[in-house]
Amino acid sequence: MTLIQCRNLTREYRKGDNIIRPLDDLDLDVPRGDFLALMGPSGSGKTTLLNLIAGIDSPTSGSLTVDGTNLANLSRNQLAAWRAENVGYVFQLYNLVPVLTAYENVELPLILHDLSRRERHERVTAALEQVGIADRADHYPRQLSGGQEQRVAIARAIVTEPGIIVADEPTGDLDKPSAHAVMSLLQDLNESSGKTIIMVTHDPKTTDYAKRTLHLDKGRLVESDAPLEEAPA
Amino acid sequence: MKILSCLPYITRQITRHRVRSLLTILGIAIAMFLFTAVQAMNEGVREATTATANDTTLVVYRKDRYCPATSELPQDYQRRIESVEGVVSATPMKIVVSNCRTSLDVVTFRGVPKDEFMQGPGRVFELVSGSIDDWKRRTDAALLGETLAARRGLRPGMTFDAAGITAYVAGVVRSPNAQDHNVAYTSLEFVQLAGRDQLGVVTQFNVKVTDASQLDPVAERIDEIFRTAQEPTATFSEKAFIGRIADDIIELVGFARWLGLGCLAAVLALVANAIVLSVQNRISEHAILQTLGFSGRLVAALIIAEGVVLSLIGGLVGATAALAVAKSGNFALSVEGTSIPIVATPTLLITGMLVCAVIGVFAGLLPAWQASRREIAECFRTA
Repeated sequence: MTLIQCRNLTREYRKGDNIIRPLDDLDLDVPRGDFLALMGPSGSGKTTLLNLIAGIDSPTSGSLTVDGTNLANLSRNQLAAWRAENVGYVFQLYNLVPVLTAYENVELPLILHDLSRRERHERVTAALEQVGIADRADHYPRQLSGGQEQRVAIARAIVTEPGIIVADEPTGDLDKPSAHAVMSLLQDLNESSGKTIIMVTHDPKTTDYAKRTLHLDKGRLVESDAPLEEAPA
Repeated sequence: MKILSCLPYITRQITRHRVRSLLTILGIAIAMFLFTAVQAMNEGVREATTATANDTTLVVYRKDRYCPATSELPQDYQRRIESVEGVVSATPMKIVVSNCRTSLDVVTFRGVPKDEFMQGPGRVFELVSGSIDDWKRRTDAALLGETLAARRGLRPGMTFDAAGITAYVAGVVRSPNAQDHNVAYTSLEFVQLAGRDQLGVVTQFNVKVTDASQLDPVAERIDEIFRTAQEPTATFSEKAFIGRIADDIIELVGFARWLGLGCLAAVLALVANAIVLSVQNRISEHAILQTLGFSGRLVAALIIAEGVVLSLIGGLVGATAALAVAKSGNFALSVEGTSIPIVATPTLLITGMLVCAVIGVFAGLLPAWQASRREIAECFRTA
């Protein structure tokens, strides 16, 4: 069952007198429960596609439908509300708020949800335990290693229980053991929790954890190493 | 109201950027201290010079004289003034001041006929400490207004010197009339004899009229009676008299209002500077919040709320300190025996807080609007 459907998806930027088109007339279907890795050279449009799917950018033309909602038709405020409910974002550089503890960082997206203090506490604790970082709940980001920070970022991404997790080079700043731990965590979220994961990566080794890999170049899909029908429904 | 759920986040931003917050709050507090002090002076002038329907007192002064040392009227004018239609009573007063210039620490002696005074203007006095009988019995006894007593640390039973007069403190009184707060009431003869021999000579008459509508007609009648006398009179309502005597102070305080506005501008600049720097340093943080689902409006509200909270804390510290200093110091601006108290009321604190809240909002509007309009993806690209 298709969760994300892109048709003729195009994104253009104006830079001075030039128009840059990181995504050019792209068609893509992502089934629910997929773990998709996007690869390609710098400037191929991977992150742009990820941002469009996450609802933090809007297409110039074409349609992008996620679970029946055409994101291109949503206003900024509607997109914000949609993101709060449906997407968790994992950044390469973690992007935790430095003055908040790990616990408070994970709690941050729950502010937008109508939950009691106790419900919030339960959810944050569960998310921190799920990523194996509960013992560092009171630590500030500066007191954590890169791998630990990324675990907190993943906990923040899953705490609202979104259907989709997008990850932009989640291991790009990590050493090998930490990268393995983070990828195993994402794989587990995909397999045991049924999260649909779309990940941008430069590292071919991390694609081993994904169910399929797509390659982009100059804003277009150039090859796929796994047929769409192999993805779990 | 999502913003209420975000209050812990706002508080953490303020408390965990400790140095930035403390410096901003300190700057705001200093500016609000000055603003509140100026407002307290303004309030004193307003109270002392604004006529109300309850004002029924006239001051009869020597014409073309402006200070107690030169205003000399025969005491026997009293009977003729009391015979004027509309006059309830006339109290002769001999005034001696410790300092003729404008000062924050002037002792003003008002010599009055004791029994007559206590049946007239003195009826409103509330005895805080000491004894009225003691005051009536002793020639050198003084009843002190509570502001003067507090400022000089005087209590019943003590003696004090001022303006070449040594007086015994018989009691401390509280009065609804601001002019009574900062004076020492003694017997008329005592003050008349204290300097040079001036028995039979007074500085002014305080005249009570039947009602406020009678102030102007009675003043005209009194001045008309003494128009051709050797010592002609100039009669004013008490508030107008204060306005005339304290003209310099009022002008100075009027100028100080600009100082107050300057303080507000300083607060605005401080808060705006703190917010702009904070927003510039946190472009990617605001982009993260929006990625998590915070709307642009909510991010803008967070920025404004942070400015308002900083403003309110600084305002509370500064205004409270100013009121505490004004209250504990019992200051009054005195000139020519007339005192204008510096009025420290809770209303000033509330006004200061409201002003701070408005400034906090204005200071944050532009950076908040800019932050809310930024493209999230662009923020991450530039961060």
